Amino acid sequence: MIPENFIQSNLQGISFIGPELILTLAILLILLVGVLLPYWRHRILFTILAVAGLAGSVLPLWKLPQPAPDLTYLSNLFVWDWLTFLSKPFFAVVGVLTILLTQVTGEIDNSEYSECTILVLAVTMGMMLLVASTDLLMIYLAFETMGILSYLLVGIRARDERSGEAALKYVLYGAFTSGTMLFGFSLLFGLAGSTDLLAISQKVAFASQHPQDRLLLIVAILFFLAGLLFKTASFPFHFWCPDVYEGAPTPITAFLSVGPKAAGFVLFIRLFYPLFATGHDATIYEAVSGLDWPSILALVSAITMTLGNLAAIHQNNLKRLLAYSSIAHAGYLLMGIVSLSDLGLRSVVFYLVVYLFMNVGAFAVVAMVASAGGSEEIDSYRGLGARAPYVCVAMAIFLFSLIGLPPFAGFVGKVYLFAAVIYKKIYWLAVVAALNTVISLYYYLRIVKAMFLEKPTETIQIQVPLSSRVLLLALLVPTLGLGIYWQPLARVVSGMF
Amino acid sequence: MNSLYTYLFLAALLFSLGIFGVFQRRSLIGMLIAIELMLNGASINFMAFNRFLAPDPIVGQIYTLFIMGIAAAEAAIALSIIVAVFRRLRSINIERAQELRG
Amino acid sequence: MTNLIDPLHMKNMLWLIPCLPLAGAVINGLLGKRLPVRLVHFVGCASVFLAFLISVAGFFTLLGIEEPHQRFLIQPLYQWILTVWHQGSFSLQVAFRLDPLSITLCLVVTGVGFLIHLYSVGYMAGDESQARYFAYLNLFTFSMLLLVLADNLLLMFVGWEGVGLCSYLLIGFWFTDLEKAQAGMKAFIVNRVGDFGFFVGLMLLFWTLFEGSNGTITGLGFQQLRESIPLLNSASPILGVGLATWIGLLFFVGATGKSAQIPLYIWLPDAMAGPTPVSAFIHAATMVTAGVYMIVRLNFLYVIAPAAMAVVAVVGGVTAFYAATIALTQNDIKRVLAYSTISQLGYMFLAVGVAAFSTGIFHLVTHAFFKALLFLGAGSVIHAVHSNDMLEMGGLKKYMPHTYLTFMAAYLAISGIPPFSGFVSKDEILWATFNSHLPVAGLGKALWALGLLTAGLTAFYMTRLVALTFMGGFRGGLEKEKHLHESPSVMTFPLMALAVLSVVGGVIGLPAVTHLPNLLHDFLGPVLSSHGASGHQAHAYWLELLLMLISIGVATTGIYLGWLFYVKRPELPGKVAARFAKMYQVLEQKYYVDEIYQALFVRPLLKLVALSGRFDLNTIDGAVNLSSRVTAKFSFLIGWEDLKIVDGAVNGLAEIFKRWGAALRHLQTGKIQHYLYSVVLGIFGLCVFMFLF
Repeated sequence: MIPENFIQSNLQGISFIGPELILTLAILLILLVGVLLPYWRHRILFTILAVAGLAGSVLPLWKLPQPAPDLTYLSNLFVWDWLTFLSKPFFAVVGVLTILLTQVTGEIDNSEYSECTILVLAVTMGMMLLVASTDLLMIYLAFETMGILSYLLVGIRARDERSGEAALKYVLYGAFTSGTMLFGFSLLFGLAGSTDLLAISQKVAFASQHPQDRLLLIVAILFFLAGLLFKTASFPFHFWCPDVYEGAPTPITAFLSVGPKAAGFVLFIRLFYPLFATGHDATIYEAVSGLDWPSILALVSAITMTLGNLAAIHQNNLKRLLAYSSIAHAGYLLMGIVSLSDLGLRSVVFYLVVYLFMNVGAFAVVAMVASAGGSEEIDSYRGLGARAPYVCVAMAIFLFSLIGLPPFAGFVGKVYLFAAVIYKKIYWLAVVAALNTVISLYYYLRIVKAMFLEKPTETIQIQVPLSSRVLLLALLVPTLGLGIYWQPLARVVSGMF
Repeated sequence: MNSLYTYLFLAALLFSLGIFGVFQRRSLIGMLIAIELMLNGASINFMAFNRFLAPDPIVGQIYTLFIMGIAAAEAAIALSIIVAVFRRLRSINIERAQELRG
Repeated sequence: MTNLIDPLHMKNMLWLIPCLPLAGAVINGLLGKRLPVRLVHFVGCASVFLAFLISVAGFFTLLGIEEPHQRFLIQPLYQWILTVWHQGSFSLQVAFRLDPLSITLCLVVTGVGFLIHLYSVGYMAGDESQARYFAYLNLFTFSMLLLVLADNLLLMFVGWEGVGLCSYLLIGFWFTDLEKAQAGMKAFIVNRVGDFGFFVGLMLLFWTLFEGSNGTITGLGFQQLRESIPLLNSASPILGVGLATWIGLLFFVGATGKSAQIPLYIWLPDAMAGPTPVSAFIHAATMVTAGVYMIVRLNFLYVIAPAAMAVVAVVGGVTAFYAATIALTQNDIKRVLAYSTISQLGYMFLAVGVAAFSTGIFHLVTHAFFKALLFLGAGSVIHAVHSNDMLEMGGLKKYMPHTYLTFMAAYLAISGIPPFSGFVSKDEILWATFNSHLPVAGLGKALWALGLLTAGLTAFYMTRLVALTFMGGFRGGLEKEKHLHESPSVMTFPLMALAVLSVVGGVIGLPAVTHLPNLLHDFLGPVLSSHGASGHQAHAYWLELLLMLISIGVATTGIYLGWLFYVKRPELPGKVAARFAKMYQVLEQKYYVDEIYQALFVRPLLKLVALSGRFDLNTIDGAVNLSSRVTAKFSFLIGWEDLKIVDGAVNGLAEIFKRWGAALRHLQTGKIQHYLYSVVLGIFGLCVFMFLF
């Protein structure tokens, strides 16, 4: 016998997944249009539908009640807190930028375009579900929705050999690590007898006192890490990243480097803090006694950023270079997770927002130059500053921001991250990170140098269409604006934890 | 025989065999099957814990059902990618796919 | 004094000082290509000049305030950061602070800056990308003013990074030259190493104060920092060293990068690859002094960290000497000046290291005058000769009288000849060093001796520079000689203005001996900690006078030796002969008996000189020569070491990073199964780590 209020509450809960439902509708609509107009040659219709769907998905958020940490819905599968509330628009923006970037660059053929938009929307939906989930089952489902469809996105340009190889590596690596993570889930389920994170966290605090259960917990944590560090592209689970980023179509690379990576970090916050840390009300958390995962992550963070930066020095393919750069940034972001404080969590979220604009911006330039007659190799950037000044200045700003120079947004983000680790007195990590930003100068400046200070080796004229310029401007404004006046974003982020 | 640890042992064995298989196989299909073994190991864990420990009688079973669904989707997508790669390389040997490196 | 300008109005105008050059940069940067060149020049110069006028107004406004401790204006612009969490909050405003210290720097930056902008109009004439050049130069001025006027450390850091960025852009200004691009890169990277010292120090400072005050410290404003700095003493030390010392040292690491001190000085000589006005502006007058400014700004922090102060003083003193010895052997005129700049910056750090903060700022100001003048003069010379090599110059006195005269003013100033400005400020530093109370006994005296020796070397190499450039005959070939010309008046006017300042600049900080007020010291007083008084002891009157005489003596000796070597140099007998002939000519006009002298002594002597060559000098100048040779050899060795070892270390480090990067690439085999192994190995490795620790 199902109680009446159960149905009632579930019906209410549906309104909370409004964004996902609207995205589903948009996906169906694009599918339908794709079937009805099989010979439709123009992308613009699909773009409009997809962007409208993503924009529309954000609208219901403001109709919903005030977020609260303990407001769960749909049988405790999801939580409606500030992190959820703010992550959904974030992923919608990621989706919109990806769609627009795909629209303005010709890298994906018209024949695959509708599928591409559908997949982007679906992965976005997966990410939105993932950040709201508070149940191991839901987390797994959303994680796989995001993961499996992004394998397809990487391989969407099936005729291209590298795209296929990248997709192959991604799917094998992804399936392997998510299988490992799932095994970790099963161990945790065995420990707690429940898939609800809240219930598990109570058991974990208790179980960590028993040596036997502690062993189980450690194994579970490490298996978790395999999945999370894979998604965030951190050492030692980063190996897929350069190959996949290089092989995938550039707009998709941009998408992967901000979307699933951000989702991975949000999942870190969702999983690790409630489960393996105590003191949720205070500003400072402590790792559950006996499980020293923060120091492991600190080590991982240091190695990840160092490895990413060192390996990037030698790259000549810009996509590959930016892939290593994104590995290095995963290391920086982990600093915020390691610091086990509200400040750290805020700095992670803040940096993710900033990173979205500057990193998509850098990839956007790569995509635009490649589609305007250049290539992804650094050679075609030599002397480009004189031929395509607007694009190159934009690229320089994105790169300076990635380095973390004021007055660009990346600087502010790094300030927060450094502040967090120094606040927790993890000085060595701050020093390693500081040295790393110096190393990173080598390869970022190499691009700037090639663009502005070297003679061109090819004389291809680069023509960047107006639509691309407008998109670049849309990315430049926040990259600059958040560096000069970031107070609003900081205030929003402060409300989250 | 009918104790929790039997099943846990079986699950761990399947999981390890899966990992071993992924390393051992050179054919893409073989690797895919090995990954399925890993997922099955996790499934058995869920079922066993559900049977012996969990107060909620169905959560573990539902979880297993979903794992089966996901595994099917994953296999389908992986196969489609393998087919696409096969068309280019005329081979399903993993060693052929190492263009991207460095 | 009555107030000409209402302080309230002035306060609301502060933002204009940095933002005018910014506006200039934006206009020239965005529209420059479409604007006529004259308008580009006008925008570039006028924006800085207006900023200068406002600074002057600000200066008088400050003077108009009766109570010295009330002499500061703060203009908050907007709330920059406000982060609230459970234990407290962190809030910062974008705010500008005008106080005696910042206005002094403001006047230098905008005043000297304007002159250099004006000079650039002539220097860059005919260049295709002048609009970009002026945009960068204006942008730099903006960043520098931001650094100077910032009311809190973080905003200062923004300016700090901004000047580095503009410096990078300006060094690499001439695109096509790969070497220049490398130089810019080197400057940038070396600076970043320093900047992170600054940054980590900043974070450490904030958190320590935050915890020490239980969350009541909520920002990095200078006023607040100053009031709460004693809290640092109660914080628990790290590795047995007090936090104030740590923070002071970390900030100093930043200063060594920006201000080119040991060990991070290596970028500055290479940075000379940029256009010469840039070298004058950025690498002599303003940016490189940012480190000194920062330490003076944070004087309240340094006075409670005597160990850090001692390190600053020692590094400053050693750098001053070290760079001066290198300058002895350089043939590139800009390189000599670059090493000289490093050396003079060392003096400034020596001053602030012995807590003579106002003296450090004093030398900063006078140095800005005479070193900018030296660079601009050198630029004028290079403009005429089209070469940096002093061996291809000589005798330019004749062709470029204005340049020569103004250059001489700067030369006498830097060599420490009274009453030129450089003498006054350098002597005050030496006096303060002599009187200092450093934690190690005798260190002050040792540093004084080192500083004195450096003063002698400075006089020597500057004489050499002047002799090789302006004296003697032209060595660049006949073809070039025909084209030698004085620079246009748009270039010589700034030279003259700076020359006047170099001559009279000393009056703002007269030593106690003169019994006249030390204007700058009194003006800066309210900003500095009470400890920061430079050695103004009345009872030491005779001692001060004695030391002053010693330093004049050393400077004169240096000049004499320089003259002996490079004007009377035996390897160039023709030159020596010409000199004698000239002397004879001069004499002839006054005494007729000189003809007899010539017949009886001068001609045979000249022959003898020409025949015996080196022997002559060796016998006549004997020991003097020997000691100088040793110095020269030593400095040659240092120069060699400088290039090979220190550069080698930097390049070597880069090489190591590259090697590691290359090795890491081999890990990325491209084989998916290797990647999957890494997953298992990774989990296993982390597991081991977790159990071990």
